[in-house]
Amino acid sequence: MPAAILLLLLVFYPIATTIILSFFSGSSFVGLGNYGAILQDPATLNPNGLSGGPPYGTLVNNLLWIVIHLPLSLFTGLVLAVLLQRVRGASIIKSFIFLGMVTPLIVIGVLLGFTIEAPVGFVPAFFGSIGLPSLDVNWIAHPTTLLFGLILGSVWSWTGFSTIIYSAGLTTIPKDYFEAARVDGASEWHIFTRITWPLLRPVTLVIVTMSLLWELKLFDIILGATNAGGGVGGAADVLALQMYRYAFVALPPESNKAAAVACMLLLFTTLVAGFLFRRLLTGDAPKPRAARRLATSTRAGE
Amino acid sequence: MSSSTQSGTEGAGTGGYRPPRPLIKLIIAIVAVLVVSNVVTGLAVYYASLPPVSGAKVVTVVGPWAGNEKDAFLPVMDQFARTTGISYTFTTTRQEDLQTSLPNQFAAGQSPADLIFMPSAFIKTYAGQGYVTSLTGTIGPSTYQPGALDQVTANSAIWGGAYTGKVKPGFWYRVSFFQAHGLTPPTTWSQFTTLLASLKGITGVKNPIISGDGVGWPLSDVTEHFIATYGGASMHQALTAKTLSWTDTSVHDLFATYLVPTLQAGDWSEPITWDSPGVNLFWNGTYPLYFMGSWITGMVSDPSDLGVFSLPGGVANQGIVFAADYFFVPKFAAHPVEAKRLAAFFASAAAQTTQVRQGGHIATAAGVSITAYPSVDARVAGLLTGKTVLPDLDDTIGGTFQTTFWSQLQLLWSDPTKLDSVLSTIQAAT
Repeated sequence: MPAAILLLLLVFYPIATTIILSFFSGSSFVGLGNYGAILQDPATLNPNGLSGGPPYGTLVNNLLWIVIHLPLSLFTGLVLAVLLQRVRGASIIKSFIFLGMVTPLIVIGVLLGFTIEAPVGFVPAFFGSIGLPSLDVNWIAHPTTLLFGLILGSVWSWTGFSTIIYSAGLTTIPKDYFEAARVDGASEWHIFTRITWPLLRPVTLVIVTMSLLWELKLFDIILGATNAGGGVGGAADVLALQMYRYAFVALPPESNKAAAVACMLLLFTTLVAGFLFRRLLTGDAPKPRAARRLATSTRAGE
Repeated sequence: MSSSTQSGTEGAGTGGYRPPRPLIKLIIAIVAVLVVSNVVTGLAVYYASLPPVSGAKVVTVVGPWAGNEKDAFLPVMDQFARTTGISYTFTTTRQEDLQTSLPNQFAAGQSPADLIFMPSAFIKTYAGQGYVTSLTGTIGPSTYQPGALDQVTANSAIWGGAYTGKVKPGFWYRVSFFQAHGLTPPTTWSQFTTLLASLKGITGVKNPIISGDGVGWPLSDVTEHFIATYGGASMHQALTAKTLSWTDTSVHDLFATYLVPTLQAGDWSEPITWDSPGVNLFWNGTYPLYFMGSWITGMVSDPSDLGVFSLPGGVANQGIVFAADYFFVPKFAAHPVEAKRLAAFFASAAAQTTQVRQGGHIATAAGVSITAYPSVDARVAGLLTGKTVLPDLDDTIGGTFQTTFWSQLQLLWSDPTKLDSVLSTIQAAT
């Protein structure tokens, strides 16, 4: 009962109020008017961006984060977890990798800003030193380098999460599977693709979902590295920053539009979370062929 | 089987089996912790925000200045404390941060200080919502330069005061650098472009002009200077009042004729952080020209080596941007009487004389002697002659227009061919 009261007060009431707020403009009911206005705003979806490059708009930017950042941080974490599986002192290395996760995102944003900003940042200087003058520029000052610099530059911060989760997942796979596969003459690549990767599917699902949620509500890194406008031309702008501008930068505040963006984010995150729960509750990871063979031979031995 | 389960079974008796319910205990514990921590926090905040019970008079001030600028401001506060016997505390907070935190504090019936420095657009907006104390009767136009309070006057009431301000007069250069290379300040647009070409030919010069940047506002200052010079004071005023569209042919042509060609010609550096990195690169000659406000005089090692010229040529009725620092007394100020006395002091010639002596500031109060200014500031004041004094355009409009204006100008600096879309986006944000 206390939990239910807390949920009602702290979760359901604010959500309901926000949803109601998003259908109003001041005290007038406007239906989906705020949503229409936001979706037609070039800051949300910039039609010129598709042909002329960034700024693309917040919706596309959030999508780009998911498409680029998610697979990179996921596979980097997987590779590191597998490589560190049998390394002495791996826990210390993992602790360092995990530092990116415990560092406040606003700090990561400020650090990223410094690293890609000429003349102080080492990223432009590095590309200059290896003879790539086109990248020896102030990355903060150009839409393309800003957007992709922040996406690629923040992979390290989220890699710690996937590394730790994958490491934990690897410990749950019975060693018998690997031994049986090796007895059968399987190569390390086959062991990875036929045993390790399939058995890590539930873990991968968790990482993908958590990363998706994080990338949808992305805010601190962009604000720390740029400004409330999302940097040059709004090139790095994202939905959460757009919501922040409506709520706290606009004079007077446009709370109704902020609520509409919040509802859009809620919808997206609910879809992602719903997908995760459905898969976790109903779907079992398929057993790899080697594991099935091992199980069959064990039963035959009985 | 655990012992707890066993005891549960044994103790069932007539009441039947009841499984252990550790989750309930956990929830109760969490709720208890939440309640206790909230009560403690609430009490702490309540008592911390109470005014002091003793008779000691104190006034709290929040302003944007830190470092050298704060050092130049505190003598004014010290003077107030000496003459009134009211002590003070000064806290530095960025106005961008205050813009997000103050509305929530006002809604909760609180204020972080008795007197706060904020842009005029913010003061007027929240005066309209009843969160600002009227200063009518405390300060008035008669003690100010003409028009100094226009930006904080609404509905026949004065909601804030103008402190000193900074002029954004034009391009700064090192006199010694110009002398060493036989250069002179231009008096026509043609001479200006010739000067830029000459600077490009000097060894060690990367670009003729450094583009100071941060969140975007030094670029906006440059742009306003182009508008006020080649579009005149009337165009600047019309854009500020939103009676002229940014996509109007006259505005477009101004950008396309003057600013964009220089960007495309590589006369400007990439945007560089305006303060220490930017000033150092200007001072060492990597970028010999720097468009900056008059506060640059307090940021270089030898202000006497500084020269400045406005954009040459232009229309008959030109303007020059003068950005005053505005302050207000919040409705929820803990010490409103002392805050009003401080407001009256900031509006006085005595306080502003002390401030302008520190360099980099121009008074808004009437009666400040020209002899109070350092020589470089006196030269800056000379550039104001014959020009209409204009308020900072984006500070006056404020809100999301300002962030859009800044970020779109950053985009224009990155890709001058996007002029049309830049102007359209700025217009959409008005």
